[in-house]
Amino acid sequence: MNATTQLTAADFKSDVKPIWCPGCGDYAVLSAVTKALADLGKPREDIAFVSGIGCSSRIPAYTNVYGFHGVHGRALAIAAGVKLARPDLTVLAAGGDGDGLSIGGNHFMHACRRNVDMTYIVMDNQVYGMTKGQASPTTAPDWCNSKLTPEGTGISPVEPARLALASGANFIARGFAGNLNDVARLIVEGINHPGFSFIHILSPCVTYRPEQREWKNAVHPSADASPAQLVAEAMHRLAADDGYTTGVLFAGNRPPFMPERKEKATFADIEKKFVS
Amino acid sequence: MPTDIATFLAHAVALEQEAAERYAELADAMEVHNNKEVAELFRKLSAFSKLHLDEVKAIADNYDLPQLKPWEFQWTDGESPEAAPSDRTHYMMTPYHCLQLALFNEKKGHVYYADRAHRATDPEVKKFAQLFADEEAEHVVMLEKWIATVKPPQENWDLDLDPPGDLE
Repeated sequence: MNATTQLTAADFKSDVKPIWCPGCGDYAVLSAVTKALADLGKPREDIAFVSGIGCSSRIPAYTNVYGFHGVHGRALAIAAGVKLARPDLTVLAAGGDGDGLSIGGNHFMHACRRNVDMTYIVMDNQVYGMTKGQASPTTAPDWCNSKLTPEGTGISPVEPARLALASGANFIARGFAGNLNDVARLIVEGINHPGFSFIHILSPCVTYRPEQREWKNAVHPSADASPAQLVAEAMHRLAADDGYTTGVLFAGNRPPFMPERKEKATFADIEKKFVS
Repeated sequence: MPTDIATFLAHAVALEQEAAERYAELADAMEVHNNKEVAELFRKLSAFSKLHLDEVKAIADNYDLPQLKPWEFQWTDGESPEAAPSDRTHYMMTPYHCLQLALFNEKKGHVYYADRAHRATDPEVKKFAQLFADEEAEHVVMLEKWIATVKPPQENWDLDLDPPGDLE
């Protein structure tokens, strides 16, 4: 491929057809990601896309960049490794609310505080869709449509943006799958912002949470003219947030984590070890 | 709102392209869910949109169009008016629903162009916006006639005897 050719969003889509349910918000996220990548103007081989497990974690297969469909909840650990080994790459990680905030919750907190320069997209539908509709960490306590929690979970849900801020994420944004062009903008801003960027996307699951079709009537842009740049200010705003505010919620200025790299062996040295 | 001809045509090209791409995406999704009849219809709708895209591109080739970022397009609802809203789809939707969705999109396309024609001060924008509005109006009439030939769905069209949420 000629690296100087301007690629379009279609160039970033692979030939693999998504198996998501018709109406799933993840289709829009895929479109937003490919539009964002086209806007970045980088060649495909300079981008790595890592995911965990779940419906939304299938997304790297549907794109035409380097992809790694990882282990449940471990997308961020893999993505951080990729970025530290290959700082020249643009690294994206993606997954769902279950993968990222329950199974991978621990990794999420530490990725936020470690602040490696990468972008993490969480497609939040407040349900485990791939395993047929169980409550996830972001499900409301009174949602009782799963046979496993017939009276609801009774547990306060995780608030992803608040958790990210408290854990040290350097850039936090929220988008809605129903407005994919705005999501594309948030992804581009997240990628361009140094450090760990967290993009929380409300992505309806029309099969197990059909009531989420109404999210389009709940989402609204932030009333603030510009994103908070101080943690205290962002905390104050997020404390009053209804969970449906879209836009950049926080843009910090912490320097990204990047340890000094010292070459300990050449490829020739490594090859010798295998030969001998 | 795009006021000059180049920006207006950039919007028109994006509108038709996104309509074609969305129909193709829905066709693929329906195929995966074994709804072959609706998949075929969405495929046809995508082909129709591509034909219209070619027409718009032929006009646009005479102008130097601006390279707009996805979020710089000035759509009324954040997305191009003829891109089928995904939340109006269902894996068991019938051809009737599919054509109703297409009608919904064409009506939105017509309103978009008619509004541009009404508000335009640039004579070229007014001319092409009116031309495209008239074409969209023709599509609306065509779809209404088509829908009249299609059997409306039964009341329980979305009854799935093996529903996705059934664990028993």
